[in-house]
Amino acid sequence: MICDQCGERPASVIVKQKVQGQMTERHLCHVCAAENHNLNFVFEQDPLAIHQLLSNWFPKQQTSMSPVKKEVAVCPSCGFTFTKFLELGKFGCATCYDAFDSQLENIFKRLHNGNFEHAGKIPASYGSTLKIRKEIEELRKQMQVSIEDENFEEAAKFRDEIKELNLQLEGGASDGN
Amino acid sequence: MAIERFLQPRASSWMANDGENVDIAMSTRIRLARNLSDFQFPYSFSEDEALKVDKEVSSALLDKGHELNHSFTHINIQETPKLQREVLVEKHLISPYLAKGTHSGSVLLSENEELSVMVNEEDHLRIQSLQSGFHLQEAYQVANQLDSLLEKNLSYAFHEKFGYLTSCPTNTGTGMRASVMLHLPALTMSHQIARIIPAISRLGMVVRGIYGEGSEALGNVYQISNQMTLGKSEYDILQDLQNMTEQIIQQERLAREAILNNSPIVLEDRIYRSLGTLTHSRLLTTEEAATCLSDVRLGIDLKMIAHMDMSILNELMIFMQPAFLQQYAGKPLQPKERDFARAKLFRERLNKENATNEGEEFA
Ligand SMILES: [Zn+2]
Ligand SMILES: [Zn+2]
Repeated sequence: MICDQCGERPASVIVKQKVQGQMTERHLCHVCAAENHNLNFVFEQDPLAIHQLLSNWFPKQQTSMSPVKKEVAVCPSCGFTFTKFLELGKFGCATCYDAFDSQLENIFKRLHNGNFEHAGKIPASYGSTLKIRKEIEELRKQMQVSIEDENFEEAAKFRDEIKELNLQLEGGASDGN
Repeated sequence: MAIERFLQPRASSWMANDGENVDIAMSTRIRLARNLSDFQFPYSFSEDEALKVDKEVSSALLDKGHELNHSFTHINIQETPKLQREVLVEKHLISPYLAKGTHSGSVLLSENEELSVMVNEEDHLRIQSLQSGFHLQEAYQVANQLDSLLEKNLSYAFHEKFGYLTSCPTNTGTGMRASVMLHLPALTMSHQIARIIPAISRLGMVVRGIYGEGSEALGNVYQISNQMTLGKSEYDILQDLQNMTEQIIQQERLAREAILNNSPIVLEDRIYRSLGTLTHSRLLTTEEAATCLSDVRLGIDLKMIAHMDMSILNELMIFMQPAFLQQYAGKPLQPKERDFARAKLFRERLNKENATNEGEEFA
């Protein structure tokens, strides 16, 4: 949402003001809010309603007018459309994140000060699985090179290592449940 | 019934008022949002799934919770009467959203009320850790331990790029919301708060009033929390919040000194009038009670009022709320009746305190 006063910066404060007995609501950026010393700040449960933000960034016409996007942006798992996600401001399930992936970077950047990639905690089980998967990928490449070099003895060694890691992966996955 | 202990007019340990800077930073809260990978999120799941999620999370915690040296009580929300749910909300143990009971959900509470897990709120799990005073790292450690324990027994929805997947895109990533509750009477009185709030939001943090309905933060209590959950680690988010909070505390101290130097009698008069109101009035609205509590709290901090225990004020902030008053009156109360019950509660609690340290019953 853009600031009601300057129309430039994103709004970060909701200001409620009584003008001639009527309550008005204004969305101001930090600069304009700081200039309005006489205003009472109102603190809402959710300072900026997320669905309002989203529908302002992605006006309805745009999403429904583009047939390509419309077709792609349906979550196969929960059935949420991208439009529904914008209206509600909420995801329906984990698969939504992949279904709407192409649009999310943009949305996250706006919500998280330009950031869109996780930099925090990784679940332990996921962390080790991720590591093994990356190792397997690496070994596959090496095996390919060995085959191309017709060094079959070495390729077989890589194959066995991959097999071993795959077993670990399966074992790890069942432990995780 | 198991819920009874949590409804008592007894201070939770997070209201205890311990630690450094506790005169300004009243309490700290960490919340972690998590979802299970094998179920739709609460905005789209079926009642059947909701039940399964509740069962899965609850049994994992009830089975393993002891590894954290806590025993948890499971409270089914839909089976809990509305007034009791509101009491839990007023004690900050559950959110208003969970209290609505839209679908099967529950809360698991540790015996000291510092640790809880809400099931089927906006996310499958909302892990919450509450502490008295300003203890961001400690509160996070407790929440993190619980999270790691649950993660071993549950399959979380996690994404290589986006991190922990949550219903709301504002929580994606760490899923962590860290907040500190601050009592800022001097910054409010001197109107500096209006200058500080925008500066905070510019740095990716948010300030809110606590439970005010009018145009000002009720009782000069503000909550500052992180807004960003992507792109920074939990450690960095906590560190930024820690630094910001320390600066605000510093500003509040300077503002208090300035007011004390410039108009000590005016300030003293205001504080004692508020003390008089709390200990002698017959009708007390929520707003008036909150304002006077803020003044008296300041009076204690500035050593103008002696012989009054701050933790009682913390309790009263919670117990003066509508659901609590009705719970203890044992009947529904009209607003005017509540004002009467509230005044009575304050008189009994504060005047009794001068004589004895026990005083538990009111209504
Ligand atoms: Zn502006
Ligand atoms: Zn989905």
